[in-house]
Amino acid sequence: MGQSLDFEFIHENQCKRAVLLFHGMTGSPFEMKKMGRALFEADFDVFCYCLPGHGTSPINIKTVRWEDWYTDSTMHYRNLTKRYDEVYLGGLCMGAVLALTIAAEYREVRGIISLSTTLFLDGWTIPWYNFFMPLGLHTILRYYYSFPEREPYGLKNEVLRKKIAALQKRNTEALDNYPMSCIYELLKLSKFAQKNMFRVQAPVLLMHAKEDDLTSVKGSQFVYRNVGSSIRKYIELEDSYHLVVMDNEREFVFNTSIDFLNSLSNYAPADAKKLVAIGSEAADAY
Amino acid sequence: MHIDTTQIMKIISLLPLSLKLIIMTNILLIAGFIIGKLALYKFENAVKFFAYYSVAISVLFVLYFISIIWFSISNLFAGNAVYSAIFPIFLFLPFIIGHFATYEKVHFYTNIQILTLIISLLLALSFI
Repeated sequence: MGQSLDFEFIHENQCKRAVLLFHGMTGSPFEMKKMGRALFEADFDVFCYCLPGHGTSPINIKTVRWEDWYTDSTMHYRNLTKRYDEVYLGGLCMGAVLALTIAAEYREVRGIISLSTTLFLDGWTIPWYNFFMPLGLHTILRYYYSFPEREPYGLKNEVLRKKIAALQKRNTEALDNYPMSCIYELLKLSKFAQKNMFRVQAPVLLMHAKEDDLTSVKGSQFVYRNVGSSIRKYIELEDSYHLVVMDNEREFVFNTSIDFLNSLSNYAPADAKKLVAIGSEAADAY
Repeated sequence: MHIDTTQIMKIISLLPLSLKLIIMTNILLIAGFIIGKLALYKFENAVKFFAYYSVAISVLFVLYFISIIWFSISNLFAGNAVYSAIFPIFLFLPFIIGHFATYEKVHFYTNIQILTLIISLLLALSFI
C-alpha cells in the first residue's frame, strides 16, 4: 500500500528543476498532493514518497527509527540530483525537519520550503497530561501509549475537517493516533536537526500557522534564528492550523512557495522571475 | 495454617511510610505491567484505554521514584548507608530498559521490567 501512495509529477519535456516533498508524521503523500500539483503546474517536476513505516499497518510505524526516515529521504534526494540541475526540498511537520536535516548535510540543496516545522510538541491540542511525556518517552511505556488524534485534526476549515474525520473512519489504514514511539523518534530527529541547523546554507521559506494545534510557532522561529542561510523568510499564517497545505490558506501557501522557488531558480519562466523579499514583517515582529 | 492478620497489621503499621509506599507502588506497577502486556496485542486499537493506562502507570512510576528517594534519604540520615545505596539502582532501571527496548521485543522487555519490580519488592519486604 505504501508504494501506491507515492506520487511523481514529471513533465514530458526535460525539466531541469525538481521538488522533493516530504509528508508529516503519521501522514502520507496524499496530504502533499495538492501542493505537488500546484508546483507541477508552475513548471517543477515533483516527487513525494511514503516515509518508512507510513502508509501501511499502524504496527510498522512503531518499528521504524528516525535514521530510517533520514536514510530513505536522502536516497531519494541523491537520486534526483543525478537527474536534475536544481533540486529543492519541501516538507510539512516532520517532513520539514527532514528537509532541513538533509540540507544541513548537502550544501547543494537549492532551497527549502519548511511548513509547520515540528521541532517541539507544544501545540494547543497536546493533552493536559503532557508533562508525563519524558517519563513515557524514555521508558517501555512508549510502546504502549499513543496520543489520540482528536478534533480539529490539524484543520481550521470545518467542512474539510468533517471530510477528513469521515475518511479516517472509513480508511482502516489511516492512523488516528500518534504512537509515542514515533514521537520519540521524531524528537530524536528534531534534536539532531537543531544541532545541525547552523549548517543549513540553502535559502529557506518557513510558514507556520499562528494557531497550530500540534506544534507552536516556536519551532519555525527557532529555525529562522539558527539556520545558516543568508536568504530566509518566515511567514505566520492567520487562518490555518497544522495542515497548512490543506487548510484555508493553502492557495497562499502554494503561491508563496512557487514565488520563492522561482526567485531562486535559473530556469524560472521570465514572468515568474521576481525577487522575493528577504525576511518578513512577521519574522521581525516576534 | 493460621494467619494472624492483627499481627501482620501491627507489623505494617510499624513500617516507615516510605517503605509502605515502595511496597504498594511496586505491587500496583507489577499488576499494571501484567495487564498492559496482556492487553497490548489484544486491544491495540483501544487508544483511549492505553492513553489513560499510560498516565496511570506514569503516576505510579512517579510515586515509586519519590518513595525510593524518600526511603534512601531517610536511611542516609539514620546512618544506614547500605540501605540508602541499594534502592536508588531501581530509579535508573526503567530508563535503562526503555533505552534498549524495541517494539519487536516489547514483551521481553516488559518481562524484564516486571522482574526488576519483583526484585525491588522482595528487597523492600526484606527490610521488614
